[in-house]
Amino acid sequence: MVWERRRRRDIFDIIDEYFEEMERASRELFESLLGGRPSWDVSERCLEPLTNIHITPDEVIVRVDLPMVKPESIKVRALGGNVLEVSADMNRTISFNDFGITHRRGEFCGFKTKIRIPLPVDMEKMTTKFARGFLEIRLPRKRREGVRIPVE
Amino acid sequence: MSEPVRIIERFRVPPGCTLLVGLPDVGLVGVIATTHIVSALGMEEAASVESELMPPIAVLHDGLPHSPIRIFHKDTVLAVLSETAIPAPVVQPLAKALVDWSKNRSVKMVISLGGLPTPERQELTLENIRIFGAASTPTALEMLKNWDVEALKRGFMVGPYALILRYAAESGLDAIALLAQSFYEYPDPEAAAVVVSRVTEMLNLKVDVSELLKKGEEIRLRARDVMRRTQQELNRMKKSQEYDLPLYV
Repeated sequence: MVWERRRRRDIFDIIDEYFEEMERASRELFESLLGGRPSWDVSERCLEPLTNIHITPDEVIVRVDLPMVKPESIKVRALGGNVLEVSADMNRTISFNDFGITHRRGEFCGFKTKIRIPLPVDMEKMTTKFARGFLEIRLPRKRREGVRIPVE
Repeated sequence: MSEPVRIIERFRVPPGCTLLVGLPDVGLVGVIATTHIVSALGMEEAASVESELMPPIAVLHDGLPHSPIRIFHKDTVLAVLSETAIPAPVVQPLAKALVDWSKNRSVKMVISLGGLPTPERQELTLENIRIFGAASTPTALEMLKNWDVEALKRGFMVGPYALILRYAAESGLDAIALLAQSFYEYPDPEAAAVVVSRVTEMLNLKVDVSELLKKGEEIRLRARDVMRRTQQELNRMKKSQEYDLPLYV
């Protein structure tokens, strides 16, 4: 075992350590992005919806959970820099009291979120659909001209 | 040395009960379903689950502190419910503690309620959401068959229910998981209603799901934060491995 401790780290140990460090850093980043701030904003009177991004070979599909909203109020704006802003009015105002929380003051009348699209997409060709409380945004991916390699 | 997860009883539960398990997982199906059953049956708190591995949380109800993971009882039914996401490192000792406690208290059967992530869930209506099952023993597998629940035959299960089944198998305890097709990352009250209907039918309990369905959008609104934190923990457990194809055929 003494030999084990004195052994020089080989390349696999270094790679393992690197990946462990990367995983720890990404966890911390995830925590800071999602865990460290509330999902509501009293000054804007809005809640942040649950959002998910799914990437296929041809499209980026964004799905936003929008319960209790007026479908005609849903707005999707391309802000530039591959960022989308989604907002919607709720069909009734919700207060902290509705969640059983009496020690905070404030009410919410809509959802709002900004979503960064992680890949180059064609914003002009964006399509949207709202059904059963979910907004689906489809964005075609921008194609890079590749070189075709013949397969022997 | 004390156990990493301890179950502190308020009273001794009778032997021969069925334990329903509603822990946060995909679509929060188990939590929504079990909360509805606990409330509909008017179950009372029988025990709380304590662990130093959990974040230092107290859940306040009517001004009084409670453990976020509690066990409820009524007649021959027990139900364990968590109001917060279970940190990935707690999953293993929690599953072990629940199985050991079930064995010690002569629980007849453990039924975990949950979701089976389904990419085409958005296209499924209430009527065509299917339920699949998994079992810990040949007897439990036979029960699934008798209840007309299609068993998962091959593939990976990840999370607390996977370990409850494994530990139950090791200790000879009959356990099943009832999994309704569900969303992965959004709270799914419809899938929960399907699971409630099926399990209450199996146990001859009367629980109406119309209120659960009526409040579906409100539940989705309230469950956002627990869903968000559960999703973080599911990522840490590598839950997406459930989509992987197994090595052997």
